[in-house]
Amino acid sequence: MYIVKNAFKNISRSLGRNILIGLITLVIAVSSCIALSIKEAAKTAEEQNFSNLSITATIGVDMQKLQTESNNDRNTLRTLMSQYSSLSLEEMQTYAQSSYVKAFNYSLQSSVSKGDGIEPYSEDEITETTDSAQGTESNEQNKTGNQQFGPGAGFGRMGQQGDFTIIGYSSEAAMSNFVNGTNIITEGEVFSFEESDNSCIISDILASDNSLEVGDTINLTNPNVSTETYTLTIAGIFSTTSSSDSGMMKFSTSQDPLNYIYTSYNTLNAIVESSVANAVVETDDNGNESTTALRTVESGVYSFTDVESYENFKTDATALGLPDNYQVTSTDISNYEESLVPIQNLSQFADVFLILVWLIGGIILVVINIFNIRERKYEVGVLTAIGMKKWKVALQFMTELFFVTITAIIIGTSVGALASAPVADNLLEIQISSAQSHEVTYNNNFGRGASFGGGMGMMGNSTTDTDVSYIDSISASTDLAVVMQLIGIGLVLTIVSSCASVGSILRYEPLKILSNRN
Amino acid sequence: MSVLEIKNLYYSYEGANKDVLSDINVNFEKGKIYAIVGKSGAGKTTLLSLLSGLTNPTDGTILYNGKNVSRINKSNFRSHMVGVIFQGYNLLPQLTAEENVILSMDVSGKHIKNKKEAAISILEKVELNESKAKRRVLKLSGGEQQRVAIARALSYNPDIILADEPTGNLDGATEDSIMNILTDLAKNHNKCVIIVTHSPKVASFADDKIVIEGGRICQ
Repeated sequence: MYIVKNAFKNISRSLGRNILIGLITLVIAVSSCIALSIKEAAKTAEEQNFSNLSITATIGVDMQKLQTESNNDRNTLRTLMSQYSSLSLEEMQTYAQSSYVKAFNYSLQSSVSKGDGIEPYSEDEITETTDSAQGTESNEQNKTGNQQFGPGAGFGRMGQQGDFTIIGYSSEAAMSNFVNGTNIITEGEVFSFEESDNSCIISDILASDNSLEVGDTINLTNPNVSTETYTLTIAGIFSTTSSSDSGMMKFSTSQDPLNYIYTSYNTLNAIVESSVANAVVETDDNGNESTTALRTVESGVYSFTDVESYENFKTDATALGLPDNYQVTSTDISNYEESLVPIQNLSQFADVFLILVWLIGGIILVVINIFNIRERKYEVGVLTAIGMKKWKVALQFMTELFFVTITAIIIGTSVGALASAPVADNLLEIQISSAQSHEVTYNNNFGRGASFGGGMGMMGNSTTDTDVSYIDSISASTDLAVVMQLIGIGLVLTIVSSCASVGSILRYEPLKILSNRN
Repeated sequence: MSVLEIKNLYYSYEGANKDVLSDINVNFEKGKIYAIVGKSGAGKTTLLSLLSGLTNPTDGTILYNGKNVSRINKSNFRSHMVGVIFQGYNLLPQLTAEENVILSMDVSGKHIKNKKEAAISILEKVELNESKAKRRVLKLSGGEQQRVAIARALSYNPDIILADEPTGNLDGATEDSIMNILTDLAKNHNKCVIIVTHSPKVASFADDKIVIEGGRICQ
């Protein structure tokens, strides 16, 4: 007991030295508290986001596998690609029967041209490109199947690109842009999913540019056959925050989200069936078939309750007959992983910071304690000369250091608790802008602009949206776990920094110390 | 009956060929004052260090109440059985006189009721009043510091008091005063008081004189 009492008294007797030790420990404690709070918060955010993660997946051709099989030969690859076309809706529905699938939504997408009374929204640059690509005179030539990039282009021979992208959805859940709030109905209402009633919704800009209102009709045509027309009724008008220039390099106005026309799957399917029925099919000298029917791509999106179900579905789909050259993929998981990059960087930064602080702080404390024990050598000599056991002397010195350390840690934890949230937010902001800047640079290098996303990819039966939504806030609060860790750090620091002094105390002989002094 | 016995004691410093102390045989009894005298470098202080357990003999034994001191825990020996008054006092300067005495009580682990009162009482015995007891030892005179050192040595009531030149730095009047205290301890409190000294005056207070020359007892 007297050891504790003496230790406590000695702190006030050597105030300067103990204030110095306290300040160093305070810096260590504040830094550690912030770093540990950030780490805890990052871990919690990661776990929470993972548990809240809703997984959607698509089935598409495994391009990597095809490339391997083709030995990188372009012609072989083209042949293989034509063999493994997109899955039909029936096939997709077969795999949707897996017990691991929570929901299955699908859509049909095509490209249509303007008819009477509607012009696509366009920026000058695009219009020129589109116009030059779309002269009506050239339409007939394109019946043979000119290949173009962009929406509406599937594998093999692709049809003429239209002015608009038309997408037919099976359900509300399939309309991801409306689900996530990118698009909002501002007038009228969404079309009926069950009916094939030729109702649709169009963007507010497209509506205002063409002086269209809810209830009006629009005429669209087949890009391959200008005489094939379809009439749709506007059931609703939507506004969109989807950036018109955020996507890939545009070859057509149909790529602009403002020129997207949404309808029900049944409506678009009926239009496509009618187009197929009226189509002219030709075969060229090489035996390649071409058609004037609307080119379409069907997309199916499988939803899962969790990652485990998604993983199980991959195996189950193969069991249900999915060929080897198709694969189940999910951008949600990769997006999730990518969204964690700033937070993981922050956590790694906190790790490095912690190690440095502990290392440097620990070394400083050890050095101070070595000087301290040299300074107090006489005291050790006297105490041991009057019969105090050496381990008790060492314990008293350690207790002194522990009092100072723990006091500094308590103060440091309080300061750190207050500082951790703003510091964490600030650092996370820096990490996010660093990640975003990296992404922009990366995409610019490939001529893609700011991001891949915003549109609908058409490779296989997939709806690709690779926009990464970074975790932009963490709740860096100092909880019990952090406090316990800090107390642990305090103990470790006390023990480590005392080691040198304890070693010296155990080595010192009182007679030598006192003789030298005398 | 001997409280402390030295039998065939030899001591040499590590690595040295010559013995500092050779063939020492002495018995010390309670109630007496012993003066160890001799020239500088004769080995007086070394003998005192051996008696206090601060160092170990190269050969021979020291018995405390018949028990070999080398088999007794040295810290316990110093904190319970012997009280050492060092030549340079060896007090803790950051503590008050009272605190130095209380610390010694604490170290001994002896159960003492109200240590503060007990410390003041011991300090009064060595002629230091309460006001001086509350002062830091550095603010006391040499004689007063020596008194504190004596009080500290007495604080746990040991059988043996070992004093190394207890009056070496003091004036004549203070020397007398200190020696009276030590005599009182031996005669009235039945302590065995062993004093290392150069001073013939101090030696004159002793019941027995042990003269050391060249590491051997001559008388």
